Amino acid sequence: MTTRASEYPPPFSAREFVAEPTDPVDERIEVGVLIVGAGPAGLACAIRLGQLLEAHPDVAERLGEVPVAIVEKGKQPGSHLLSGAVVNPRALRRLGFRVEDIPSYGPVHDESVYVLTRRNALRIPPPPTMRNHGNWIFSLSQLGRWLGERAEEGGAMILPETSAQKLLVSHGRVVGVRTGDKGLNREGEPMGNAEPGSDLVAKVTVLAEGTQGHLTGVALDTFGLRGEEPQVWELGVKEVWQVPKAPQGVIHTMGWPLRTRARFREFGGSFIYPMGDDMLTIGMVVGLDYRDTELSVHDVLQELKTHPKISKLLRGGERIGWGAKTIPSGGYYALPKRLHAPGLLLAGDGVGMVNIPRLKGVHYAIESGRLAAESAFAALRRGATPAVSLDTYDKAVRESFIHDDLYEVRDMRQVFGRGFFVGGALASAMTISKGRLDLGKMRAEPDAEQPLLRSDRAASYPTPDGKLTFDKLSSVFASGNKTRDDQPNHIRIERRVPKEVAEMWVSLCPAQVYEVGVEGGDGTVTVNVSPSNCVQCGAITAKGGRLTPPEGGSGPEYTLT
Amino acid sequence: MSIVVFLEQHGNELQKGSLGVLTKAASLGDPDVAAVIVGENAKALASEAGRFGAGKVFVAEDEALHQALPQPRVDVLAKIVAEHGYETVLIANSVLAADVASGLAARLDAGLNWDLVDLTRDLVGKRPALQDSVLVDVGWKSTPRIALFRAGSFDANATAGGEPEIVEVSVELSEHSAKATITGQEQEQSAGASIEDADVIVAGGRGLGAPENFSLAEELARTLGGAVGATRAVVDAGWYPYSAQIGQTGKVVSPKLYIALGISGAIQHKVGMQSSNVIVSINKDANAPIFEFSDLGVVGDVHEIVPKLTELIKQRKG
Repeated sequence: MTTRASEYPPPFSAREFVAEPTDPVDERIEVGVLIVGAGPAGLACAIRLGQLLEAHPDVAERLGEVPVAIVEKGKQPGSHLLSGAVVNPRALRRLGFRVEDIPSYGPVHDESVYVLTRRNALRIPPPPTMRNHGNWIFSLSQLGRWLGERAEEGGAMILPETSAQKLLVSHGRVVGVRTGDKGLNREGEPMGNAEPGSDLVAKVTVLAEGTQGHLTGVALDTFGLRGEEPQVWELGVKEVWQVPKAPQGVIHTMGWPLRTRARFREFGGSFIYPMGDDMLTIGMVVGLDYRDTELSVHDVLQELKTHPKISKLLRGGERIGWGAKTIPSGGYYALPKRLHAPGLLLAGDGVGMVNIPRLKGVHYAIESGRLAAESAFAALRRGATPAVSLDTYDKAVRESFIHDDLYEVRDMRQVFGRGFFVGGALASAMTISKGRLDLGKMRAEPDAEQPLLRSDRAASYPTPDGKLTFDKLSSVFASGNKTRDDQPNHIRIERRVPKEVAEMWVSLCPAQVYEVGVEGGDGTVTVNVSPSNCVQCGAITAKGGRLTPPEGGSGPEYTLT
Repeated sequence: MSIVVFLEQHGNELQKGSLGVLTKAASLGDPDVAAVIVGENAKALASEAGRFGAGKVFVAEDEALHQALPQPRVDVLAKIVAEHGYETVLIANSVLAADVASGLAARLDAGLNWDLVDLTRDLVGKRPALQDSVLVDVGWKSTPRIALFRAGSFDANATAGGEPEIVEVSVELSEHSAKATITGQEQEQSAGASIEDADVIVAGGRGLGAPENFSLAEELARTLGGAVGATRAVVDAGWYPYSAQIGQTGKVVSPKLYIALGISGAIQHKVGMQSSNVIVSINKDANAPIFEFSDLGVVGDVHEIVPKLTELIKQRKG
């Protein structure tokens, strides 16, 4: 008997999160373009809109007092941003910036790729997908803060600590979002300082929520936009270290501590990027189509750090930051059928604009945000009908490098289902042929449909020493997360499941949100949830649950990730 | 250097935190530290302030000050600072005091450093940062300086000081000060002494095993005249009320004695109690992180040790 998490779906329905506006008309907050999410896509969209509206004051005037607003669930732009990040600067340039003017850790000078075994490291020539010449090293959180300032300079209003809870739909057309209530207790009843959410009404709404976007998922279901293939994800967990001396170039590793046999489906690798002379970031990324109930990306990263080659880089250093986030990896075939619906545009990671073999997505997010701004602006000009003219966005994305790049590597993620070596060889062949090698469309199964197995995976994780290796709770602390404990639970899961499923969730979560509760005697157990630990990485949504946004301002407070 | 300390009082009782700040102020070398007490029967509390080091006590008993509202207090303090030229105003943090301090800073266009845990003689404040992992030095560029101190930063020590000079202050309310009123007040019911004020805290964690075993902690706390605290895990599990939660997302305490029963000592808990004077922990797991920052660690079963410990203390107390 095989068990799959997908057989125990969470109590969740997209319909719960779609509503008509309910606030009295004069209490609604009216804006021109409403952007959900102050990440690279949303901020690029706001910045481009600012540029266009400055050049066309007549359009700006018709959009009212607040032509552009951004709602952000984190404490500030950047609080919930995490990435590697080695960024291709072309999209930033197209937005009108000189990359030299942006806070960064400089261009990539040198790079190396290693295949690791338990004790050794074999240096290999970087596969074509992993060449980073001309790319720049950023902290995405810092980049988000900087872009946030630019967006505000351009006239956008940023509403931080505000979650977009419901999609407002009226007569089949998206008309904004309803923000989340604040100050509710665990039972959902208002406390002394309660503040109900409000209707933010807009002519065009842009969802740029990032990976596992809550309303993006709701919109894809509501408007029937899901792509041919299901979306799948990877989970990335990373740390920032202060070290005596950072490595010169960027380092990627493959192999150990991941197991290479196809049956385990442990697809992934690590990255180590210098951040100036005395900091580095080290992260581990693993595909969530893995099967072992004991696989924990958090702990695989701890294991990685014990490798002699890697612990040497960290010696004498101190961990100063930690975070985790999923990465959509379904690629080209998992993109939605359309990126727009009446009154609505979808951009960035939320719809899966990530090139997994190249480990790149930030510049697609920025470019799609910019293109969304241009389509929204075109739709808002006098004489245009916003509801129908947003389809220019789909066309623009199709003609952009986003489409070309994703098409070139369209089957890349799927081939790794065949195991590390076969997959790696096919992946290289595909890139060298610039996408002309056609394997036929390969199928992917949703991550939650992988049959679970057990193989004593956890035995190799190191016991945390609090210096080089850490337990999950210490990591949550290092993320800056100090979420109010007595708020309603924002994580939807089936609370009584077979033990394997519960154990898989416990291992999966890098932030120790889940615990196995009491046994039911029939092979099932209850699952205990500590929602305030959650860093909103989204892994639970990939593996059989559903993350919804907690009270605005909750979650991690990333600064260096 | 002239210092004035705002002393918060509720129900004819000067708050311990305020007296701690006064004790600190008196130790900074200013021979003439002043205190401000407002509200009903403020005058009667002046001599107590004297014992904690105040040479001069300003009192204001105006009816507008009977309710615990910030703006009238800002009016009083602003007037005292302006008329007597005080350069430094020290305040112990509380819900009310935070409003008073920010209101006063706005009114006087003064710099406010908040969440301080210490202040040096040359007026450099110490403020924890980066989740309390470091202390940063903070100062002021201008006078008056306003400082708001974290609860429990200083012990309140009475000295043999004489009777202070009492100065009655007449209150001139600003126009907007009368606009807020308190329509009702409710007291949260809790089992024992409040954990912010207790000298002894007995805290329980998941290692207690079951909610009913909190009686072990309660009994020990009663015997020692202390309060009961709890970790987030047990509050989450519904074993104990949130009002007792100690840690990053609960209360930050610094009692003289902290007894941790079955608490592993995750960093989220540690930051809520690490400044306790003496930390004693009992835990079955010899590798529990709490032993790394305990003054006395006992590896053993709380269910066996605590009843015997309680019994022994009772016997000693006779």
